[in-house]
Amino acid sequence: MIKKSRKVRDYKELTRALPTQTYLDPETVYIHLQNGRCKTYDLYVDEGDHVDFGEVIGVRHGGFFEQPIHATISGTIGKIGKKLHRTGRKVDCIEIKNDFKNTYHKTITDRPDHVIDKLDQDDMVEILKQKALVGLGGSGFPSYIKLATKETINHVVVNAVECEPYLSSDYRLILDRPEEVIMGLKYVMQALNCEHGMIAIKADKNPLYEVLTQVIERRYSDLNIEVVRLGNYYPQGWEIEVFKNALGIEVPHGELPMSYGVLGFNVSTTAGIYNAVKHNLPVVERYFTLTGDAINYPQNYRVRVGTSIQDLIRQSDGYKEDFDEVLVVMGGPMMGVSTVSDDVIVSKTTTSVIVLKNTEYKEEPCVRCGSCVYSCPAHLEPVQIMNAVKRNDKDQMKSLHADRCIECGLCAYVCTSKIHVTDYVRKAKRLIR
Amino acid sequence: MTNTMPKIIRKTSPYLRRPNANAPRMMRDVTIALLPATFFAIYSFGLPALWIILTSIVSMLVTEYVFYQIQDLLQGESFKVINKQFSLYNFSAVTSGLIYGLTLPDQTPLWVVALSGVLGILLAKLLFGGMGQNIFNPAAVARVLVVVNFATLATYQTNIDGVAGATALSMNNADLFSADVLNHYPIMDLFTGIGIPGSIGETSALLLLLGGGYLAVRTSFEIRIPLMYIGTVFVLALAVAIQQGLGLWYPLYHIFSGGLMLGAIYMATDPITSPITKPARVYYGFALGVITFIIRIFGALPEGVVFSILIMNMFVTSFDYYKVTHPRFNRKRSLIFIAIIILSIVVTLVGVSYAG
Repeated sequence: MIKKSRKVRDYKELTRALPTQTYLDPETVYIHLQNGRCKTYDLYVDEGDHVDFGEVIGVRHGGFFEQPIHATISGTIGKIGKKLHRTGRKVDCIEIKNDFKNTYHKTITDRPDHVIDKLDQDDMVEILKQKALVGLGGSGFPSYIKLATKETINHVVVNAVECEPYLSSDYRLILDRPEEVIMGLKYVMQALNCEHGMIAIKADKNPLYEVLTQVIERRYSDLNIEVVRLGNYYPQGWEIEVFKNALGIEVPHGELPMSYGVLGFNVSTTAGIYNAVKHNLPVVERYFTLTGDAINYPQNYRVRVGTSIQDLIRQSDGYKEDFDEVLVVMGGPMMGVSTVSDDVIVSKTTTSVIVLKNTEYKEEPCVRCGSCVYSCPAHLEPVQIMNAVKRNDKDQMKSLHADRCIECGLCAYVCTSKIHVTDYVRKAKRLIR
Repeated sequence: MTNTMPKIIRKTSPYLRRPNANAPRMMRDVTIALLPATFFAIYSFGLPALWIILTSIVSMLVTEYVFYQIQDLLQGESFKVINKQFSLYNFSAVTSGLIYGLTLPDQTPLWVVALSGVLGILLAKLLFGGMGQNIFNPAAVARVLVVVNFATLATYQTNIDGVAGATALSMNNADLFSADVLNHYPIMDLFTGIGIPGSIGETSALLLLLGGGYLAVRTSFEIRIPLMYIGTVFVLALAVAIQQGLGLWYPLYHIFSGGLMLGAIYMATDPITSPITKPARVYYGFALGVITFIIRIFGALPEGVVFSILIMNMFVTSFDYYKVTHPRFNRKRSLIFIAIIILSIVVTLVGVSYAG
């Protein structure tokens, strides 16, 4: 099986064609008070207080930034409890009990178009900062820091590639709300004074192409927005790979794309920017995929941030009964994090939960077939890094640039001997950090 | 709805694996690809060929089985009939045994086959730590043990005219550039293997190529190595042919005779004993070709394939050395490589003009 293999079977057919189910009225939501980037927080509300939809209830403190916390439903504040976060630690979460009245906070008012037209970069940055917008594709990097760049940006790229298998929430988002994406991109282009916008999708996603081109042609033909179709392989959604294939710009390891005049946003983030600028909404809901081969009805959902995954699994008719052991993965099956319990919640950056049956793979000794070296998108030699880890040779790990690994998981995916190569490379990254 | 709650367990990403990729399948493919050549060997050399092949496979399998049983006993484990490390299931020992058997002359005594097979797998594979750890190709080591220890016992006999002790290549060894050899072995016969003396599995280039095609379709071997290997021998022979005023028959004769096809397609491509990166595999195939050709025309032995494979096996670690290895070609390395190709053609031609 010695070959470069970048085709990963995508299982998107499980959910792609199904209509998005709206589930916006959960009994309670839980809001993370801490996350991977923000360790401390201040809370402005107490148990029993009434909050409105979109109200600021506290602030998270990160290393060099602050993030307001917004209520995603109207209701009463409950207790602070601990819930699992994607990082695998238990973090503080605040409970809000839904009063099903959906009263909007007074700050949630539409911004008229003539006001928006006058916004400049600083205004936009301030809005995104107030609305705590972060990269919704999973990175969680504050968007306003990206937008506040002082470099000249020639291209803004919306990343709608979604190359992870099983996921189709971005796909549904574009089908359902193409205008939000395009308007979001328009606002970013306006803020950065950039002439050229680009929406990158996968080549085999024809419906997306049709929807986007039609909307752009009919309503936004004055904007210079291009829809590009990129190759149907994994990890095409890696930002560096998107820039390389869409624009021919190669961003070397360790450098920021901004210095090459290009900036990328995930498609959900772009829609979030639209909602923040136009409707003054923070990220209160998101498109979410609940799928996998061990769940009864895989489905895309539109949910409030803070919805319990257990609720959603119940909505999907629960686990299949054929399996004794399942994996609950937050994020995609290639890069996602497996959790020890389904008692987790949808946060801003959770794109999906995938319930997979547990398959044990029989590991053979490495036969040095080289598939991992051929396939690595970062041009590393995973097998050599693995051997260095086994010998604990840190010099070698450094020389082999283990730190450049993006943990896409392709090396373990292609391995002829079913060795968990990615795990070794991850260990190397930790060791040389 | 959730009546029975499954147990949620934790793992690390990725959670998917490539379907249809496994090491036993890769080894098994090599065995399957060799079947046409094996049947042809039995057809043209009769029962002795069958006994040689069976002996070589069984000797390697039994050695491996006994070795791992002893290892387990030494580690204080209780005796189990099915040993975990025993690699019958992943086909690596069977594959080695089959290749080794096919490289042997048809007159090899069975005890020589068995003894060298046992030593081959023991010295080249098991003592290094088993599958994936060896640096030398077990089949090549076993074959070389036969050459260096039992050269006079392992002799060739043609299946048609009964001239003992000569293969197409050893004819060539006696008289370097005579077209005379064509009278005995026309190119077409060398290609199909009908009526050609030689080691039992190496006579038919056609069937070996057929197996190579199968391996290429199944991506069970690295096609760059045999292409570079055979291509290099062809180009060097072509250069010599042009210099000496010989026809196109000369390079064709070189690539179809001897163990080149068998060695290039089935032994040199053993992933365990070849480098890991694409460029290194190209360099490796090229080096094999040069060494084989030089042994063939300047060496005392008629056959350079197994020796070149063992020699280059030693250098695999330097191809893979972490400070020099690179997973992609770049301009500088390619230029150096082209310079080395030109240099080796020049060296060969100078050598030939002195020898001739």
